[in-house]
Amino acid sequence: MSWDDKLLKQAKKIIKLYPQKRSALGPLLHLAQSKDGYISDDSISVISELVGITEVQVKSVSTFYSMYKQEPTGKYLLSVCKSISCEINNSSEVINKVQEFTGLNNNETDEEELFTFEAVECIGACGGAPALQVNYETVEGVTPENAINLCKWLKEIKPDVVVADEMQENFGGIKSFDWAIQDNSGATSTAPGFQTLKTTKVKK
Amino acid sequence: MSEKVNLNVNGIEIESDPNKLLIEACEESGIHIPRFCWHKRLDPVGMCRMCLVEVETPRGKMLVPSCTTEVSDEMVVDTESDVVKKAQEGVLEFLLINHPLDCPICDKAGECPLQDQTMAYGPGESRFVEEKRHFEKPINISEIILLDRERCILCARCTRFSDEISGDPLIEFIQRGNKTEVNTFPNEPFKSYFSGNTVQICPVGALTSTSYRFKARPWDLKSTRSTCNGCSMGCSIELNSSQNKMLRILGVDNDAVNQGWLCDKGRYNFEYLNSNSRLKTPLKKIDNESVEIEIQDVYSELAEVIKDRQTKVNFLLGSNLTNEDYVAFREFSEIISQSEKSFYLNDDKLHPGLFGENVDLAKVDDLNSSDAIVVWAEDLKEKIPVLYLRIRQAVKNGVKLVVFGHTNETLSDIADVFYGKETVSENFEIVKDISKLKEIKDLVIGKNITAILGKSTPHQSDTSVTKLFEFLNSNSNSKVLNAYSKGNTYGAFQTLENVKGLNDFVNDISEENTDLLFIVGADPVGRSVYSNQIKSIIEGLDTVVALDNFNHETSELANFLIPMSSTLGEKEGTFTNIEFRTSRIDKLVPSPGQTVSDWEFITSLMNFAGLTVETNSLESLNKKAYENLDSSLSPVFDNLDKPSNLDGMVNVSKPKISSSDNNSNEAKFFIGEKLYGDSTTERHSDSISLLGSKKYIEVSEGVVEKYNLTSGKCTLIQDELEVTVSYEVNKSFPNDLIYIPTNRRELNKFDFSREIIITPSQVKEALNVN
Ligand code: SF4
Ligand code: SF4
Ligand code: FES
Ligand code: FES
Repeated sequence: MSWDDKLLKQAKKIIKLYPQKRSALGPLLHLAQSKDGYISDDSISVISELVGITEVQVKSVSTFYSMYKQEPTGKYLLSVCKSISCEINNSSEVINKVQEFTGLNNNETDEEELFTFEAVECIGACGGAPALQVNYETVEGVTPENAINLCKWLKEIKPDVVVADEMQENFGGIKSFDWAIQDNSGATSTAPGFQTLKTTKVKK
Repeated sequence: MSEKVNLNVNGIEIESDPNKLLIEACEESGIHIPRFCWHKRLDPVGMCRMCLVEVETPRGKMLVPSCTTEVSDEMVVDTESDVVKKAQEGVLEFLLINHPLDCPICDKAGECPLQDQTMAYGPGESRFVEEKRHFEKPINISEIILLDRERCILCARCTRFSDEISGDPLIEFIQRGNKTEVNTFPNEPFKSYFSGNTVQICPVGALTSTSYRFKARPWDLKSTRSTCNGCSMGCSIELNSSQNKMLRILGVDNDAVNQGWLCDKGRYNFEYLNSNSRLKTPLKKIDNESVEIEIQDVYSELAEVIKDRQTKVNFLLGSNLTNEDYVAFREFSEIISQSEKSFYLNDDKLHPGLFGENVDLAKVDDLNSSDAIVVWAEDLKEKIPVLYLRIRQAVKNGVKLVVFGHTNETLSDIADVFYGKETVSENFEIVKDISKLKEIKDLVIGKNITAILGKSTPHQSDTSVTKLFEFLNSNSNSKVLNAYSKGNTYGAFQTLENVKGLNDFVNDISEENTDLLFIVGADPVGRSVYSNQIKSIIEGLDTVVALDNFNHETSELANFLIPMSSTLGEKEGTFTNIEFRTSRIDKLVPSPGQTVSDWEFITSLMNFAGLTVETNSLESLNKKAYENLDSSLSPVFDNLDKPSNLDGMVNVSKPKISSSDNNSNEAKFFIGEKLYGDSTTERHSDSISLLGSKKYIEVSEGVVEKYNLTSGKCTLIQDELEVTVSYEVNKSFPNDLIYIPTNRRELNKFDFSREIIITPSQVKEALNVN
């Protein structure tokens, strides 16, 4: 098996949360995504063994959902919303600028493996359109200029943990809701930051 | 019987059982609804929408898929309204958007539901002008199955089959939406014993087999219904030929037996029929040279031998004979010698079985209606594959499954209990008090049980099986399915008086009691564990006549070798399966060269010798076979050919098996067979030989340690014999157990009552040095 003990332990913990092993498939795939930045065939074999279904069944699920990447991603997955609310609020310009800055077409990763760019459907932040996500951490009310600034910042600082609130403060605008809770934790990989999966970390 | 429901379909009142699917209820009343994804034997998924019909609801008429809608009382349905027609046209237009329409080079064309239904219900033209999606033209998803993803209409029949029915889901939908395709995992081919079924149920030409690919057009095919004699299940099959060549075998839906499914061995192990290596002329051995001889000369020479009726004749019969063939030999033996005769079956595991007064024999269908199934037999997936499917089906319906080791591990993943090494010893004895096993208490006592009982390995003593049976018999309401696995074994039971196995052959047969030995369709030297003994016995006999399809290790020892017609499509007769169901074996292609049926040979021989027999035609042999049965219920041709009896007729009989127990296995070998081996017919069937019969053994962890095995290979040594094999570790094996599949050449040549030395092979290490 190509997963180290720590990851395997983590996986077994997750499996225990479900009455049937195979129900843990989704979170385990996120775990695989956080390990390699995509779902490798190797990880599929490991998961298939862990939950007792065949490899192709795991592959079937992992290729069904577009958040499980089939190819390696960069350190930061930039997902800019292209759906209707954002489009009305000038998201196409945001998309253009991000593409210009990174030099990437849709679903491409740069050579340094820093950025992967994708234009995505509604990410549930219509109230703060236009919105984008960095490793699934959402930033709302993004102007084209600020989008560039955000990219520059990522490129320069290369933070290991990206935190939505922090980015919102520095690069965002209007927000859909104010949850009034300070959240210092963020994503550590191109998988959503889940506490149970340990794909999230508190930024000191 | 629960109340029927009444519904109105297209203005006609029809009746149906409740909980039926609308599509099925309509079908039973003669109203056909087009469909692609729905298949009677698979769970409905509503994938293709071809079966849309209009149903009246409180909110007006609605289009619903009839394959996922259950009937209800007073339902009003229209399957032919304008709205339905429009829906059907729409669905077909969508399905054809990405379909390559390469019918001219498609195997399915001519028998393709997509073609037919487009013709019957389609829009006639397409509005699609964009580029169709493209995939690499057929990819091999296994050695014998090809997949053309462009043709696939994503009905999920193949994937559901592999998941629900055969339980080896190695194919699945990959990707989503427009990109969806069926595929395997990289380097994990669709290696299933049942893969051919997916080709048969695919409603388009997406799945094809290497065996039949580009061989014929459906409209050129001749076909007939017959019975597979690959194992004792006796699946119903349809034989297809073109230009007098057998080209394909399809499964026929016989509800009581195979329900449409076949194993790949049954489906593809016919290719040898067309092999050039088949025996086509009689051979005689003169000074150790085989020379061709006229069949008339064989008859006259043998007639000389049997003329005085004092000849001591014995018979070693294979399991590929028809019941009529067996009867012909029986009649022959009765005329030739007055004393009681034994017939030796080519089976190294033949045991008396459970047929006594106190035994209630089970039918295959009983599996579904029992509370629990108890299995102690050879590995059923390897030996009676479709019976394995029927067990899976029963378990899916909620029947509990209790399995005893060390065979039938293939069932252990769906078993409620698998009794492994703690309960069953290396010698295949139950070492615990059965009545104290907790799960047995819970699942078996007082319940309706179907017990599948047999012998797991040639040297297993009958004691434990008997013990298990007695326990079941006195503590539950149990029925027994005796698990003899070979071809027409039950036909032999039904027609022959006194049958014995190979171990009896070895004990009984000698020059003193045998002047003339017939070996019919049997290769015990090449296959059985008594290989060496049988070889020396045969060599010591005066006259040995072998009837076979091929020259092989046994038939080459014979003085006369007669080319035999195959029971698969080259002759007529009857076959009796594991539940004593007798069905038709039919002829479709001419038998090549000078090949003859066994019964033809033996009756001609008797004629030549001037022995008068009344059974000198197939019909008379067929009548003779069942003369003891009530004539209206007996499976004579006239009865079997009635439409209502096409699925066969059951006549349970109590066979006389006088086989002696053989438990001389000191050395702890577990000797079995895998589905695919390298017998002559298998070697000459391309598809089967591709599926491989690599030489390997399975060993317990203890054995690995004991012999210091590390390289994945080892060499088995006994006297002069050395065979290098790969080994696999089987963690559920008790201490010293070694599994050896004997349907591989050489592996059956060991004397399993003595030690075999195992030495690790240095293959890998040697490679590493360089
Ligand atoms: S390959 Fe055939 S059976 Fe399988 S999903 Fe496609 S059309 Fe259906
Ligand atoms: S299960 Fe037996 S009878 Fe059925 S197809 Fe396979 S070999 Fe033939
Ligand atoms: S449309 Fe962009 S977040 Fe909803
Ligand atoms: S047959 Fe009903 S949806 Fe396919």
